[in-house]
Amino acid sequence: MEVLLWDGTLSSHDFHVAARAFTENWKQFNPTLPPWIWVPSRLSEQGYLSLEKICIVGSSKEHEQKDVDEEEPEPVDNATLVETSSPQVCYYDFHILYSDSYRVPVLYFRAYCIDGQPLAWDEIEKVLPACSAKVLLESKWTFITQEEHPHLNRPWYKLHPCGTSEWMKLLFLGDESLAKKGVAFEQYLVSWLSVVGQVVGLRIPFEMLNHHKSCN
Amino acid sequence: MEGNSGKSILQFAPFQSSVDEGFWHRLSSLKLNKFGIDDSPILITGFYAPCSHSQVSNHLTLLAESLPLDSSEESSVPAVSRGNRNRCSVPGILYNTNTVESFHALDKQGLLKAEAKKIWEDIQNGKALEDTAVLSRFLLISFADLKKWSFHYWFAFPALVLDPPATLVNLKPASQVFSVEVAESLSAAFNDWRSSSLTADVPFFLVVIDSNLHATIKHLKDWETYQSAADHKLLFGFYDPCHLPNNPGWPLRNLLALICSRWDLKSVRFLCYRETRGFADLGLSLVGEAQITAPQGWGTLHSTPNAVGWELNKGRKVPRCISLAKSMDPTRLAVSAADLNLKLMRWRALPSLNLNTLSSLKCLLLGAGTLGCQVARMLMAWGVRKITLVDNGRVAMSNPLRQSLYTLDDCLNGGEFKAAAAVNSLKKIFPAVEAEGVVMAIPMPGHPVPSQEEQSVLDDCRRLHDLIDSHDAVFLLTDTRESRWLPSLLCANTNKITITAALGFDSFLVMRHGAGPCSSSHDSKSEDANALSTEMNNLALTDRNGGHRLGCYFCNDVVAPIDSTANRTLDQQCTVTRPGLAPIASALAVELLVGILHHPDGIFAEGEIVNSSNNGSSEQPLGILPHQIRGSLGQFSQMTLVGHSSDSCTACCSIVVSEYRKRGMEFILQAINHPTYLEDLTGLTELMKSASTFQMDWDDGTDDDDDDTCVEI
Repeated sequence: MEVLLWDGTLSSHDFHVAARAFTENWKQFNPTLPPWIWVPSRLSEQGYLSLEKICIVGSSKEHEQKDVDEEEPEPVDNATLVETSSPQVCYYDFHILYSDSYRVPVLYFRAYCIDGQPLAWDEIEKVLPACSAKVLLESKWTFITQEEHPHLNRPWYKLHPCGTSEWMKLLFLGDESLAKKGVAFEQYLVSWLSVVGQVVGLRIPFEMLNHHKSCN
Repeated sequence: MEGNSGKSILQFAPFQSSVDEGFWHRLSSLKLNKFGIDDSPILITGFYAPCSHSQVSNHLTLLAESLPLDSSEESSVPAVSRGNRNRCSVPGILYNTNTVESFHALDKQGLLKAEAKKIWEDIQNGKALEDTAVLSRFLLISFADLKKWSFHYWFAFPALVLDPPATLVNLKPASQVFSVEVAESLSAAFNDWRSSSLTADVPFFLVVIDSNLHATIKHLKDWETYQSAADHKLLFGFYDPCHLPNNPGWPLRNLLALICSRWDLKSVRFLCYRETRGFADLGLSLVGEAQITAPQGWGTLHSTPNAVGWELNKGRKVPRCISLAKSMDPTRLAVSAADLNLKLMRWRALPSLNLNTLSSLKCLLLGAGTLGCQVARMLMAWGVRKITLVDNGRVAMSNPLRQSLYTLDDCLNGGEFKAAAAVNSLKKIFPAVEAEGVVMAIPMPGHPVPSQEEQSVLDDCRRLHDLIDSHDAVFLLTDTRESRWLPSLLCANTNKITITAALGFDSFLVMRHGAGPCSSSHDSKSEDANALSTEMNNLALTDRNGGHRLGCYFCNDVVAPIDSTANRTLDQQCTVTRPGLAPIASALAVELLVGILHHPDGIFAEGEIVNSSNNGSSEQPLGILPHQIRGSLGQFSQMTLVGHSSDSCTACCSIVVSEYRKRGMEFILQAINHPTYLEDLTGLTELMKSASTFQMDWDDGTDDDDDDTCVEI
């Protein structure tokens, strides 16, 4: 399909193809990061891409010595290591789902502390790199909402896909090497994530983008 | 071997817990739908994997799959599958109590001991050698506060205590202990073990290094086979969740107990297996040697050794608490979803949409029938949160089909009061709505009041007065003309935004009333109630704005409201209309309100009509702001009209309003009991007389005053 005639969307089948290409590509260029995994849906033929437990380690924090009524469930045991501080760790989970109504990929994500307590959006915002905050503030398409994850039926944060097809078309049009060869759906997710990832501090290595250009 | 660490006690880094939101979601659902008040313990499964991060230990994780299936979502989730290398199963038990008191009252020592006993028995009877996962049991006590969506919980990872404790001879990264050759062979063996679905989730094992420096991983139960061969080097290995460079993780404790109890070794070489990105990392993995002195009385089945293992919460012996209200409270979720829709609208099409104005606006709906139900729904859709419904009727069997807030249940046993049923229904639709129902009749002119009921009618008048006073916008949605009279007057008096919707059989009228006669002029643009009331004191008997004030529902009438239901046939009384009419009119009424709220002149905004050239506000994002919309389903047509206020209006002219201010309830009572009083007062009687003298035909003129302009769309 010619880029000029294209509306920026992709079909569910194209999404699947793009997802496979993307996971392979990711593995090749991000050997140090966990892989994206295709999670097949138990409800339909569709599935989603999942990248989980991206660990953000903050500075170590001393345990506060608060006066609280401690219980004494067991005697002191000197073979138990007692740590006086613990690192501030939080995890990010990212899922890329296909939206049938918008016909584009949608990023779902969540963040939680190491003990499982979910982080609210305002807490996530604090942890995000400064550039993400800027993107969120300035661009119209970065609309974050909490919605039920269609596969897990639990609320996750979601980057609303209203504007996706429009800026995807612009992205493909603006890139000569992409525009010339027609719409290559294998490149869709890399290009898409290179934009969307900025919002949540998820970076795509340049090599990954360039690789796509050179082999297409 | 270096002996410099001599006799130091071997200290183990405790297991740590991590509970995925999904676990609490499923536990809540099970508690509500399946367990009820049954608080007997439940077998659950925890998951862990070797440490794979140089700074962060791996946690024992509970997921939704850790719990048995909830019958309501049966077969939709696969059961726990074995062989997942990142999810080694750990058997656990959950004591979920019904109250926070019983949670605190649980015998923690006793529960821990009971689990330790299971481990001890499995060691003694050999089960722990067949299925090594049972060496790392865990215990979870919890109280699920389902009303607040908070969960109190406490984990224990029972570890059998060696007394005296094991001492450490040495502990080093595996890469420093093994030659390159052994390390390579060992890494390859580990990677095989970890990639075979048969062994990937077997957390305890034996590392065998033969005389050719070739390493293999064997099952723990094979120890007896290999220990006899003198040229083999044996290490006891386990998946170590801990990341620390100087301490082995918790699972080693029960492994040592097993080794000590079954094989009575004095010196144990062990390997803490850790990985990076899915591959064995011998730099992180530790190899150490511990010395054990078998405690007194070990080996006798009946005396379980002491156990420890309650998890600390930030170094303290207190339970943990997690709140999931943000993700589980349906009210909060509904609110954020509703906000989202409106925010999206603001973002895409209506940047000037003022959601705060809408959510703080107090709307009074007089009538909770076809129109009232639908208006309430539309208001909520626009983000209005504060809705009061006034109606004195009960839900009848014929109502639910047309009155969209009611169901058959509301009709049973004589029927619920509509005001109450509507409020319940609104809360079901959107729990965050602040809806109130008032069961009350609206006093009407032409329905004379017997003297014994006078007091209660006057009470109703005052009540209505107070209701209107305390709201920002009033909808007149009753089914008779005369019931709109008193509210029209009261609204004109206090200058409230007032919207009327009225239905015929196949035609409707939706209009906004103009500002009251005593309101400040258009220029001040003041909608502030306090400012208005001061101006009210300087009441002028004539309209300040002359004919420019927009009219109310009664401005075009030349008769005062009378009892319109008397002498009517049943179909006329029941306001039988085409079913599509009420939803259309209701929707227009609400859209009109939103238009007023977003118009810079608010209630004072001039009436606009389609294609009218004399206004600039058609550039408003919400489009034009008409005064009246009349529609006909018979013609499938709709018109916008403008009608200005009449000096002889029985509801909103300055004579009537000032009379009401002067005489209050006495005036109202007179108007109710003597319909001609209003006509006399406003000069309508005079007008009628002169009109009949000229033989004018009023038949088709009543709706279209001379000032009216109408354009068909």
